[in-house]
Amino acid sequence: MRTVLLVFLFFTHIYAADEYQLGDGIQVGELPLYVGGYFSVDYQKTDTSTRYRIDDIALLIYGGINKFSYIAELEFKEFYLRTYTNTTSTITTNDKLYIERLYFDYNYDENILLRLGKYNSPIGFWNLLPVNVLRETTSNPVSTFVLFPKFTTGIYASYTRFDEEELQVDVIVQNNANLSNAYNNFDVTEHYGLGFSYTLDDYIFKMNAGHYKKNTQSYYNYALASMKYDTDKYQIMTEMGLQNRDQSNIRSYAGYIQGLYRFTPKHLGILRLESYDDKSTNTKDSFAVMGYTYRPVYPVALKAEYQAHSLTSQNQVLFSVSVLF
Amino acid sequence: MKNILLAIIFIFLFECNVVASEYAVVANKNMPQLSKAQVKAIFLKKMLVTHDIKIVPINLSPRDPLRISFEKHILKTNFRRLKSYWMKQHYLGHRPPVSLKSQKSSLAFLKKVDGAITYIDIKNIDNTMNIILRWSN
Repeated sequence: MRTVLLVFLFFTHIYAADEYQLGDGIQVGELPLYVGGYFSVDYQKTDTSTRYRIDDIALLIYGGINKFSYIAELEFKEFYLRTYTNTTSTITTNDKLYIERLYFDYNYDENILLRLGKYNSPIGFWNLLPVNVLRETTSNPVSTFVLFPKFTTGIYASYTRFDEEELQVDVIVQNNANLSNAYNNFDVTEHYGLGFSYTLDDYIFKMNAGHYKKNTQSYYNYALASMKYDTDKYQIMTEMGLQNRDQSNIRSYAGYIQGLYRFTPKHLGILRLESYDDKSTNTKDSFAVMGYTYRPVYPVALKAEYQAHSLTSQNQVLFSVSVLF
Repeated sequence: MKNILLAIIFIFLFECNVVASEYAVVANKNMPQLSKAQVKAIFLKKMLVTHDIKIVPINLSPRDPLRISFEKHILKTNFRRLKSYWMKQHYLGHRPPVSLKSQKSSLAFLKKVDGAITYIDIKNIDNTMNIILRWSN
């Protein structure tokens, strides 16, 4: 096997046609170690406040040998935040480096993947790529942070059948505290989830359901149905979900439907309609997000969006610049 | 009149045969047979091992006409969508297949590395290779 690796590295070195491009990351020497990252700067204006923020500054480190691979994502969250209201001006900085993801993968065979560590909960579509530069709007849909834990620290297993129709089953298991807890939307100590996704040509259908326990000893169940249709010219994506607290009728819901149109490969228009009822904050709202994204090259995104809410105090304008490197 | 029609049909078929290029996905002899869907999964790095063999997909340079044909007919996608796909995979810790400059380089690699898989012009096939599937433009 070592010979194979040496031959591989030799031929890669001699014949490799790829050169570094923004968004590709770089390999450290000939080691199974790649380094990349991303950052995001944004501006938000509401009726009552203005905010400037350097949000994500993140480092990605990953690699793999044979059936094993690993990834670590370290991030400064809200590194610099300046907020103005009618009467105040505040600046906060946060130079603490958080572990956003840290996991090891083992490809047992062509169909089964096993994972151990802290990972993005594989629920819906949006939560799998939660960084500004990779998504189409600066803001995240509400459904991605009120229904289920964004991160899971534990075991993940998936079974994928590669056929003309691709079928995947995901299993999520957590029975311990979160790693780098400050970074999750919920402080959970247990999380069990199951997901099914079905892909046929340009369509993907996905169903997720799960159960989690917050550190407050309260239990929650969730379910999310998702669908995506993606072509060269446009994309339609929707995620609709419910969450209810165990032994009670306290039920929250959140969902969105988003249409994306590619005027050209670099210019995108987005319209997203969202609605939610979050019982934990007693907030109920429906709103429209109108966005425009310009990508001079794919790893660089300049975005503008306007949100019109039924709760008018939530109306806002957002601009952001984000880069993947 | 009938002869003229037959001659036209013959010339048309001959021309088609000359113009149509035929290609194949080939692998090292140790690689088991794979379906078209599995080949697609391999070049998108969704399927990484098979029968305990680490799979090593080899691409040609991005602008190579053979690669463009492979991406169109087998992966059913195009350069722009693949670029977007690999940016997202970079965030998920996956690298695109290695690109080599020529079919000659790919074949040299293929013969030396277990689990290597690539695509070539059918005229470059020899009996040391495992032909996985064929397609034509």
